Amino acid sequence: MSSGKNGKTATQDTLGREGVVADTEMGPTVVPHPSTPAPPAERRRAPRTWDTPPAPVPPPHLDDYKAIVGPADVDELRFLARELKGKTMKMVNSTAVGGGVAEMLNRLVPLLNELEVTTHWDVITGGNDFFEVTKAFHNALHGSAYELTRHAQEIFLMYNEQNRQRLQFGEDVVVIHDPQPAALVTARSGTPARWIWRCHIDLSNPHPQVWGFLRPYVEQYNAAIFSSQSFTRQLPIPQYLFYPCIDPLSEKNKELDESFIQKVCEESGVDRSRPIVTQVSRFDRLKDPVGVVQAFKLAKKYVDCQLVLAGGGASDDPEGAVVLQEVKDAAGDDPDIIVLDLPPWCALEINALQRASTIIVQKSIKEGFGLTVTEGLWKGKPTIAGAVGGIPNQIIHKLTGVLVHSVEGCAYQIRYLLTHPEFASQLGKNGHEHVKENFLMTTNVRRWLLLLRILLQQNG
Amino acid sequence: MSEPAVVLQNQPAKPFYFNTSAHILRVTAQRANTLAELQDALRDCPEDSIFQHTFRTLQEHHFIREGFSNDFAHWVLSACNEPSLAERLASVDVREFTSVAELRERFIQIVETYVAQNAAASQRKARSTFYFCASDIVVMPTSFVAHSLRDFAEGLRKVSLHSIHHHFIEARLRLKLMSNDFSQWLHEDAGLTETARAVNRIDIYTATLEGVRAQMVRIVERALL
Repeated sequence: MSSGKNGKTATQDTLGREGVVADTEMGPTVVPHPSTPAPPAERRRAPRTWDTPPAPVPPPHLDDYKAIVGPADVDELRFLARELKGKTMKMVNSTAVGGGVAEMLNRLVPLLNELEVTTHWDVITGGNDFFEVTKAFHNALHGSAYELTRHAQEIFLMYNEQNRQRLQFGEDVVVIHDPQPAALVTARSGTPARWIWRCHIDLSNPHPQVWGFLRPYVEQYNAAIFSSQSFTRQLPIPQYLFYPCIDPLSEKNKELDESFIQKVCEESGVDRSRPIVTQVSRFDRLKDPVGVVQAFKLAKKYVDCQLVLAGGGASDDPEGAVVLQEVKDAAGDDPDIIVLDLPPWCALEINALQRASTIIVQKSIKEGFGLTVTEGLWKGKPTIAGAVGGIPNQIIHKLTGVLVHSVEGCAYQIRYLLTHPEFASQLGKNGHEHVKENFLMTTNVRRWLLLLRILLQQNG
Repeated sequence: MSEPAVVLQNQPAKPFYFNTSAHILRVTAQRANTLAELQDALRDCPEDSIFQHTFRTLQEHHFIREGFSNDFAHWVLSACNEPSLAERLASVDVREFTSVAELRERFIQIVETYVAQNAAASQRKARSTFYFCASDIVVMPTSFVAHSLRDFAEGLRKVSLHSIHHHFIEARLRLKLMSNDFSQWLHEDAGLTETARAVNRIDIYTATLEGVRAQMVRIVERALL
């Protein structure tokens, strides 16, 4: 059974009424609100779908961030940009919509322009054959097996050359995102422009042939930027560290009305009078959703709680559908496990579920940076996450969250945090501050301005 | 001990200009997967790296009140599981050093001593690699200038935490003194020696940087009474 966003099957739960959590020596005793009925079990486990994407929201202005990071921090961005006034920059990537890079550029580019660093954004074009090759390169750079053929190299270089001829590169700084357009750097020859390669992917264990093919191009840049120390390579150019970031004003992260959070929980069958443990991620084995179910079941023997697994990828990815079925099989008939298969445009609903949660889990086995962890930390939630990829950059064990390495460890930490709310609350506060200092869009703008100043200074 | 009231009636000899600094991280060639490699890299890495993993990291983790001192101690505990060495590294107080070279020597000495007594531990592979980073820094002005003690308190309240870090923690290396920009100004230009000392005594390892700011404001406001 599925319920529509328009409330076709809305529950009768009481709006805004939460249960009371009383802290005792035995851990918190959850006292449900007397008038909050528990949603029926069959609705709780029903994956729901939403109908259509909402209209896009206009990007925020710099001053909108003052309420979040403080006026002094925003003023500092203006000071940093002052010397860059009149400078121009071009961003080039392979897609205008979908994916983290496009999402980030959609916010970053207007902010840089507002700071009078004129920033253009171009997207490369290519046929299916090009994107098949670049997808294979992408997987190979993540360590998958691959046979690099001469034909694949020719396709890659042919489309890069076509784009080099089509695009203009008259800016002071050119930033190429990811491997797809990496060979555009040949356009740099004989110009004073500074070229930067911004690599968003994990290069810690790249396919040697594919990396060997791309490396000579990467070495022609003035600098490279990576998302984690462990993704860097031994290169003759400076390598900078720019952590990925979240936008605190985006649909996914902005503050929400309590009534909306309540409404989303009711529609999803989440009972807010009891502790809520949530993992938000695609139905992908690398996110270990089955491991989360197992950890939850172990923890539930000792503490009362519900599990929300909210993700997507099951409708457009055959493997996602298989993993979703595995999750349902692992959940069995437990009415406290709520599985939500959401389309990509449900940012507000994801935000609401995260804000309603008592604990956020991201028990990944392999991870890029783990922006769902960043999102959870930003919302001040005590977060339990696998110690993989960029997650240890965000979670300092027992200070900004807890790192786990197994199902059993995850189960123990769920129990511990639910029964030690003061410690959990401190983790949440520290986590929020960590994101504020290091992983927000404003920090990202700051890093870009700094890098521009440093590189252009080198240019005289 | 209270300051002589006459000083408070006067304008400070020079205004205090609140500056701030911004930095980006560069990953250097040095890496460590064992304590022995940490020891070698501590010797070979650029001074910028020592600065980054001690002074700078305090700013990046300014919100933590306890349990975090510097990146070396954190890695030795979390990746090498050597709590005794981690404790010794964590006890290094950057405020006792007025040069990065001295600070580097202190870290090398601590690791060397430990490795000499725990040979097996020195070659044990860590759970994760320590990547030596360095900062590229830009210093810039802010819109806050203090012509009086009242302005000074107002500036302390309003500037960013980056500015507080710049003047209060990083300043030691610039001044080559066991002091900071705020205390220097309070002492030399405002004639408030006790206030300057009180500010300099604030413990950065048991307070968040926001807490440091609040303590400073309280101390300066007391001098205004």
